[in-house]
Amino acid sequence: MSEQAKVTGDFRRASPWPVFIALGFALAELGIFVGYFAVAVGGLLLLGGSVAGILVESGYASSVWRPLAGLGIAFGLLGVALVASQVDPATLDALSVVTDPNGIVGRGLAIVGSGAILVAVGVTGFLLE
Amino acid sequence: MAGQQLALTVLMGLVLVGVAALLTRIEDWRQYTPLAGGSAVAVGEDTGYGHREKPSGVIRWLTTVDHKDIGILYGVFALLALAIGGLMVMVMRFELITPASDVVSAQFYNALLTSHGITMLFLFGTPIIAAFGNYFVPLLIGADDMAFPRINAIAFWLLPPGALLIWGGFLVPGIAPAQTSWTMYTPLSVEQAHVGADLMLLGLHLTGVSATMGAINFIVTIFTERGEDVNWANLDIFSWTMLTQSGLILFAFPLLGSAIVMLLLDRNLGTLFYAVGEGGGPILWQHLFWFFGHPEVYILVLPPMGLISYIIPRFSGRKLFGFKFVVYSTLAIGVLSFGVWAHHMFATGIDPRLRASFMAVSLAIAIPSAVKTFNWITTMWNGRIRLAAPMLFSIGFISNFIIGGVTGVFLAAIPIDLILTDTYYVVGHFHYIVMGAIAFAVFAGIYYWFPIFTGKMYQRTLAKWHFWLSMIGTNVTFFAMLLLGYMEMPRRYASYDMVTVGPLEAQTLLHQAATVGAVILLVGQVIFVWNVVSSWLDAPKVTDTDPWDLKQSGLFTREFGWHADRLTAADGGEQQTVTDGGEKHEATDSPQPGDTEA
Repeated sequence: MSEQAKVTGDFRRASPWPVFIALGFALAELGIFVGYFAVAVGGLLLLGGSVAGILVESGYASSVWRPLAGLGIAFGLLGVALVASQVDPATLDALSVVTDPNGIVGRGLAIVGSGAILVAVGVTGFLLE
Repeated sequence: MAGQQLALTVLMGLVLVGVAALLTRIEDWRQYTPLAGGSAVAVGEDTGYGHREKPSGVIRWLTTVDHKDIGILYGVFALLALAIGGLMVMVMRFELITPASDVVSAQFYNALLTSHGITMLFLFGTPIIAAFGNYFVPLLIGADDMAFPRINAIAFWLLPPGALLIWGGFLVPGIAPAQTSWTMYTPLSVEQAHVGADLMLLGLHLTGVSATMGAINFIVTIFTERGEDVNWANLDIFSWTMLTQSGLILFAFPLLGSAIVMLLLDRNLGTLFYAVGEGGGPILWQHLFWFFGHPEVYILVLPPMGLISYIIPRFSGRKLFGFKFVVYSTLAIGVLSFGVWAHHMFATGIDPRLRASFMAVSLAIAIPSAVKTFNWITTMWNGRIRLAAPMLFSIGFISNFIIGGVTGVFLAAIPIDLILTDTYYVVGHFHYIVMGAIAFAVFAGIYYWFPIFTGKMYQRTLAKWHFWLSMIGTNVTFFAMLLLGYMEMPRRYASYDMVTVGPLEAQTLLHQAATVGAVILLVGQVIFVWNVVSSWLDAPKVTDTDPWDLKQSGLFTREFGWHADRLTAADGGEQQTVTDGGEKHEATDSPQPGDTEA
């Protein structure tokens, strides 16, 4: 119960990531719901990067590259699912919804785009290291 | 449009580059070495910042994951929100001095009304409780920190963006703020085209995510991080209420989040969840909202009740009367709170048999609430009462809680509710609880633990002024509202010059009385702010290890044990003596097992 019992704990008392995770989450949500493409992509990148960072910091991952790529794949799948929901099941004409995106497809593409960037960064980093 | 998109893209790019640059200054994230705070320490078995090795300046507050720092951050945030929400309502009260709409437009009044409610409940109420919880639950249960310190920090940092979004309609030029009232009833909230409403919903969603993360953290902390000598039988009453509240949050807030997402989808993407004649229809929103909304009332009031149960014994020189039954009543309220939501919907035309069952459960909640009230009174009975500021606020709490509670019992009865619903009676009733009770308990807690938060003592005379002005202001304002309600004055109106029946002069007079009460409250809170700020900055350091003389009545508790240890450690220099072999030095005035049971 003494102060000393607390200060000798082997865990850090500071981390730069929580504030950026919160900011990334807020920007991503704002961008996706209100429909600001750039804000959505930027927010998701910040969120993905910060989550990867905090995972490494807390020892759940040994480097940032794998978590980055993993989150990228997850975002990509989510975005693709959102886009796919708008494809006409009769014609399966995916190209037409992508070339002329409606509100939902545009949001889906933002999520796919940020996922692709995260995967690219993760894979590049992994290969270069 | 293309130019706007380009500008946004460039701006986002700059933000990301800025974040990356900042991060490389703070940490080498590829090697994982902390750089800020002076010395870089390689990551190994005993790496990391110790308590005294946090980075300095603003970076310390931006990066902290220490439960006490996060508690302070929550507290400062919540008090700022209280000030903003309070100033909003002052504008509304000045508008209501005269029947006509002459101070602000009706639209602006509606926007203030909406924002005042959301600000007080989600940006003041929930965060200020998290402030106490974060600071004191680990100290009270003998834990090193919260179970998930980083998630704790994420939960806090979701609040500032949430607040900016909630106030976005006022802050961003060119868009109108939400005018939905805090209940956001459909179809109004679906059809109102203001971008401010979307921003508010997003902000509300963020605060909900924040509260849920915090609740999970409290539950895990209290279950798994208790010290060896803390068990369920001697867990302190404040931690019991935090645990119950966290359970309520876990079931209530995710539901609010889902309902809000559905509302956002209805507004922006053409879904029909709440559309008239489709799916659930507008009434679905009321069911979902109040299934969250009524437990929210107890989310806000249970921890303050815990504070009162914790503080009253310490200024009565007695242990809490019927400790077990106070815990049981807390749990009972927690369970019952999920079975009363439709009492907010008695006038919507729902099935009368449903109404009757909800009336029965709502009335039943009076029983555990009364158990608590009688236990507080019995604790004080024949006690050695000391009327220090925390105790004054606690007694004020009981008094206001009784008025707020008894008026609530009347509202729970269908025939009375059908007459009084949507009148000022309801406003008076719940403000007796949220201002008269919850805010009073918060003030009691702040004064009681002021020596721990700040290492200083507040100015006693100013604190008493604060109490009496708050007590008188609360009762003048909200009793006038109860009377206005008996005259069937409708709530939520920006002006009342269209009212042509009833005792108009008396109604105007009561509105003016409520405004006078609000001014008295404002003066009291200005004194509070002055007292806190000037005492924190200028008061001499507290050197007494037991500032409330708790040992005298055998009610000394762990958090003051920690305070005493801190003073002793500061006395003896940087390090407290550790005996050979690393055995922890037990401070002589550490609390004994069993001390925490009240």
